Amino acid sequence: MSSNAVEIENVTLHFPKQRNALSMLINVFRGKKERFTALRNVSLSVKKGEVLGVIGKNGSGKSTLLRIISGIYPADEGYCEAAGSVSLLAGLGTGFSGHQTGRENAILYGSILGHSESVMVDKIPEIIQFSELEAFIDEPVRTYSSGMKARLGLAVATAIHPDILLIDEVLGVGDPQFKEKSKKRILDLVKSTGTVVLVSHSFGLMKDICDRLVFMHKGKIVDVGDPEEIIKLYYETTGS
Amino acid sequence: MTMFIDKLLPSAITMSDERQPLKLEKVGGRNTSWKAPLVNISTILKHRFLVRNLVRREIRGRYRNAMLGYTWTVIEPLLLASVYYFLFVMLAGNPDRMYPIWVLLGVIIWGCFGRSLSGSVSSLSRNAQTIHLVYFPRIIFPTTSMIGNMVISMMSCLVIIPIMIAYELPVTIHLILIPLSVLFSGFLGIGLGMIVAPLNCMQRDVEHLFRFIVRAGFFLSPVMWTYEMALERGMFGEMVLFNPMVVPLTMARHGIVGESIGIPWIGIIGSIGFGIIMWIFGSYVFSKYEAGAVKHL
Repeated sequence: MSSNAVEIENVTLHFPKQRNALSMLINVFRGKKERFTALRNVSLSVKKGEVLGVIGKNGSGKSTLLRIISGIYPADEGYCEAAGSVSLLAGLGTGFSGHQTGRENAILYGSILGHSESVMVDKIPEIIQFSELEAFIDEPVRTYSSGMKARLGLAVATAIHPDILLIDEVLGVGDPQFKEKSKKRILDLVKSTGTVVLVSHSFGLMKDICDRLVFMHKGKIVDVGDPEEIIKLYYETTGS
Repeated sequence: MTMFIDKLLPSAITMSDERQPLKLEKVGGRNTSWKAPLVNISTILKHRFLVRNLVRREIRGRYRNAMLGYTWTVIEPLLLASVYYFLFVMLAGNPDRMYPIWVLLGVIIWGCFGRSLSGSVSSLSRNAQTIHLVYFPRIIFPTTSMIGNMVISMMSCLVIIPIMIAYELPVTIHLILIPLSVLFSGFLGIGLGMIVAPLNCMQRDVEHLFRFIVRAGFFLSPVMWTYEMALERGMFGEMVLFNPMVVPLTMARHGIVGESIGIPWIGIIGSIGFGIIMWIFGSYVFSKYEAGAVKHL
């Protein structure tokens, strides 16, 4: 029985390049494929109970890596294994339908995240309380401000603790008070969940909570190790 | 099989401390074997709660910010039918007393098929946001779109109540044929839609092409005309049975006047069989290609 929560073995992922019909036809005849390789031979193990941070410049493949772990994209080569339920926190509040009320959207979003009806019914009071929406919860979401939407999204997404939590840059929504509160909530979640993979650009936070850091550059993992050293490596490689 | 599904799902997350130690299991796998259609059925049943919520979003979304709201489900086919009635009178002279009802039912049933078809064609591309956010079996998207359209068409069918009173039609057991034909026509649409839904992620031309197909099919199917009218034209009349939509359209019309279907059995079986084969094939193609296709979104 391995003590790893996530194992990624030699994963390669290509994205097709958007092209027009003519060049597509020409390529079919030539037997050539135009593609962009987002991940190249990536191997990584996340230990159980570990908080792993992923850093790298924009477009280095961090979010794609999380999407591989959560199953959104199957790997083209290699494989990825995970022990238990995986939940990805990303783009909070996207996919809300504006003409439905906050309550309906909370239940919809919860069911999209894979929660059952009974769990959602149980969690609704807590979600309302945490999101501070109060009377607004029964108003259509189109009347919400963007901060309110993000708060509702965060409240639903963090209401239920998965076995493995993936966080993609969701810190820092709402006003300063809520930011503080959401940071605390995510930290609590991180503590109680155990295994966390976190993508963020706030290195200060990463140094505080991550056991190890991964540095990605151009779709490859450059190095894994102690946060301080990896951050130093990041600045050396990408230039400050 | 159920075990396999369990693996694929970011299943209902329940935390309990006395759980078995978790084992590493493969992520992002897809079932692309010949069993995929069977797996899809149990996947949909398993995700009932999600399907229900997504269907609700779909229906609410259609008539949002409209004063008349759901009344449009009835007004729309009524308006359309009256235009076609007028057109028919202009072209062919005095029609049958029942003709307005034939057209109205035709518009509702064809509308269910057409929206189910174009809805499932664009089901992946419309939901790009959700697809990027979380993974759940994507067969749920076309299914949701089909069920949503069936519900809307069922609401449209309420229009037959005042008509039955006005025409003094008897209430018979055959009325059941009307909801059945709605379900059947919606089902006929999804099979074909699922085959091309992955293709539509790559090039949206597919969507535009199918919008045209739905419009052209309107005239090639007995919407403005009826199966009986085709039979009167003689030798080629029977040929219309090659169109699978003839059966649901005729079913609804015979249902409202309290008659049985009145189509040769071979035609009915052919049509139902066509629907089932298209669904199985469509569901197989969809499962095989969706994973690659969503990379284009």
